[in-house]
Amino acid sequence: MAKVVVVGGGWAGCAAALTARKAGAEVAVLEKTDLLLGLGNVGGIMRNNGRFTAAEEIKLLGAPELIEITDQASRHKNVDFPGHRHASLYDVNLVEPMVRRKLESMGVVLKFETRAVDVKMDGPRIKGVLTADEEWVEADAFIETTGSTGPMGNCLRYGNGCSMCILRCPTYGPRVSISRRAGVEDLLGQRGDDSYGAMSGSCKLSKGSLAPEIVERLEKDGVVVLPVPGEDVNFEKLGYKVCQQYALREFAENVVLLDTGYVKLMTSYYPLEKLRKIKGLENARYADPYSGGKGNSIRYLSMAPRDNGLKVEGIENLLCAGEKSGLFVGHTEAIATGSLAGHNSARLLLGMPLLNLPRALAVGDIIAYANEMLGVPEGLKNRYTFSGGKYFERMLEQGLYTTDRQAIGERVEKIGLRGIFEVRLL
Amino acid sequence: MYQALDCIDAGTEYCPCYLAETGECIMCSQLQGRTFCDCTNWKGVCIYQEYVNNRKRIKEQRKSVVARIADKRYVSENVVLLKLTTGVTLARELKQPGAYVFIRCPEEPAFFDTPMSVMAADDQAGTVTAAVQIRGVKTKALQKAKEELLVRGPYWNGVLGLKYIKGLRNSRALLVTRGIGQAPALPVAKKLIAAGNKVEVVLDKGRGGVNFAEQHFLELGCEVVHRPVLQPTTLNVPEETLEYIRQKLLVEGTRLVYTGGSEKLHQGIGRLLASMGTAVFFACSNDARLCCGEGVCGSCHTRLPGGGRVKTCKSQLRPADIYGGR
Repeated sequence: MAKVVVVGGGWAGCAAALTARKAGAEVAVLEKTDLLLGLGNVGGIMRNNGRFTAAEEIKLLGAPELIEITDQASRHKNVDFPGHRHASLYDVNLVEPMVRRKLESMGVVLKFETRAVDVKMDGPRIKGVLTADEEWVEADAFIETTGSTGPMGNCLRYGNGCSMCILRCPTYGPRVSISRRAGVEDLLGQRGDDSYGAMSGSCKLSKGSLAPEIVERLEKDGVVVLPVPGEDVNFEKLGYKVCQQYALREFAENVVLLDTGYVKLMTSYYPLEKLRKIKGLENARYADPYSGGKGNSIRYLSMAPRDNGLKVEGIENLLCAGEKSGLFVGHTEAIATGSLAGHNSARLLLGMPLLNLPRALAVGDIIAYANEMLGVPEGLKNRYTFSGGKYFERMLEQGLYTTDRQAIGERVEKIGLRGIFEVRLL
Repeated sequence: MYQALDCIDAGTEYCPCYLAETGECIMCSQLQGRTFCDCTNWKGVCIYQEYVNNRKRIKEQRKSVVARIADKRYVSENVVLLKLTTGVTLARELKQPGAYVFIRCPEEPAFFDTPMSVMAADDQAGTVTAAVQIRGVKTKALQKAKEELLVRGPYWNGVLGLKYIKGLRNSRALLVTRGIGQAPALPVAKKLIAAGNKVEVVLDKGRGGVNFAEQHFLELGCEVVHRPVLQPTTLNVPEETLEYIRQKLLVEGTRLVYTGGSEKLHQGIGRLLASMGTAVFFACSNDARLCCGEGVCGSCHTRLPGGGRVKTCKSQLRPADIYGGR
């Protein structure tokens, strides 16, 4: 049986593993930590703004599993918060085991605490990846979903140092760019001031450390907005953020809290002393990153050049997805790109042309648009997400955004791709 | 080309060192003049972060300290066992396979510093024992020492393939040593025995003319056999000895082979292991011409078969990459 190895078990890697498996490949996922989902373990926001459209498209294309899991694990549905409508907030404490069981039940082999550190090439093909334990893992095709976050040296050079986030580089070792090891230079995202990278956009507070009335409101409504004392309002920090969809005035003048099991604080970092000046947060403490008072992880320092079928340029049998495949933000974006990369790995093995999702779909358009924008000077400073910023504006302009499930169904039907990811190819 | 090797000092109190300051760090791409992480050889500590947090200065490095000679015993005409009182801290730091120090007479200039493997370290008494074979200018000068020597350490890269030695449990290991190479093999045997391994030692008294470590191997519970491991003129491993080792691997299921002696010995055994294609771990003594021990002077450099030069005083190389085998 043809073998596909997915390097990195975040949302993109899990999605890729599922669709590669559905297409008939033998699939193994190499994950450096002891958890799947990576930063998805501290995320939780789904279906806000254009992500609703994208989630429905992914389901209709034939990869409903992960979207269904996040729906099932949602603590709140149809939540509005500044700049965002109809969000679902999945419970970060529930979702990882659900995904793990789903992948295992579908016969995906999960190799935890397995960090890929190098490759063995056979001309323009990757023959195998080397793990930190000196094992060679060979396969016919590889999908890199190692993301772009960290490691510690990058978080220090481009941020405020290691803030001890969920990726736990000190414990499990840092991410290594597989495409770079295979000889393809990484592309780097920039921020407004021309420096590189961007900082993750939210922290988690421990729920038990908040005032009971805040917790009560959070559990009822999913969201609480608290005003920041005037002297502490800082608009500058919006520029550092990854998540341009949350870089809005309201997010500087207020702290926005969301209930994802933890309390998601919608800012990159916030000095604890200042945070505790806000009414109801007098005893607040961080759950992720542990040093959320000082900084957060740095991202977008490791993208691979790729085509719209998500094959990495210059390497015959390497695909990529998630942040590795562009300046994407979010779980939905990772699942969208991951699903396509997994499906295309089977096509690649058969010598078939790779599937490029048409631009009539939001998931097809964002993949093509993010690539196009790499050629534009400002393009490296933007982030691409269905949920806000430049790309959501584009969705509105192009008429891609809708919450009408029937309309989305018709759209997928019309281009003849309904259930394409369900098709067994190998 | 950027190359990541395993540095023995990474993450220790001596890291970051002189090499970080000059953009020559063995492990960290950020400290090799590049501006992004490419961290294939993680040792649990971000060296770049240590450097920045130390205000972009290196840590305080090893210094020479005066050690009293507690015992000096000639075991043959040209082999002397020196027991030095180093204090408990240094002794504790040297109580592991691959440990070595630089020693010299206090009256000699710094370039008389002589690298010497630690044969035994007693962290209760605060002593360290080294076996010195008198051969050249530096070792002859050591003979003059009556009461005291200068000791600089701890250094740890006297054995290559350390992780295989440290990782083997409840298994079988074979140590092949010759002459003065018996001394660093003793801590190797100790470590292996402590992890529940069965250890056999093939001893060749070599040029020193004496198996000064035999009694210690036996006391540890090793099985000791006597065989010539290098022919006197050709410096090849005798065919009968190779056959003996081959049988050990094939019949008894030995999982690790350590060679302690000269490069010729490592080459001979490495070739045997490579030709057998078995999954046996290979470790060996580091016989490079160590001079400063700090990756600075370059006297210990070696070329890797795949290209690139390596400072062997600090780099944990895989013996198999240099000599064959796994």
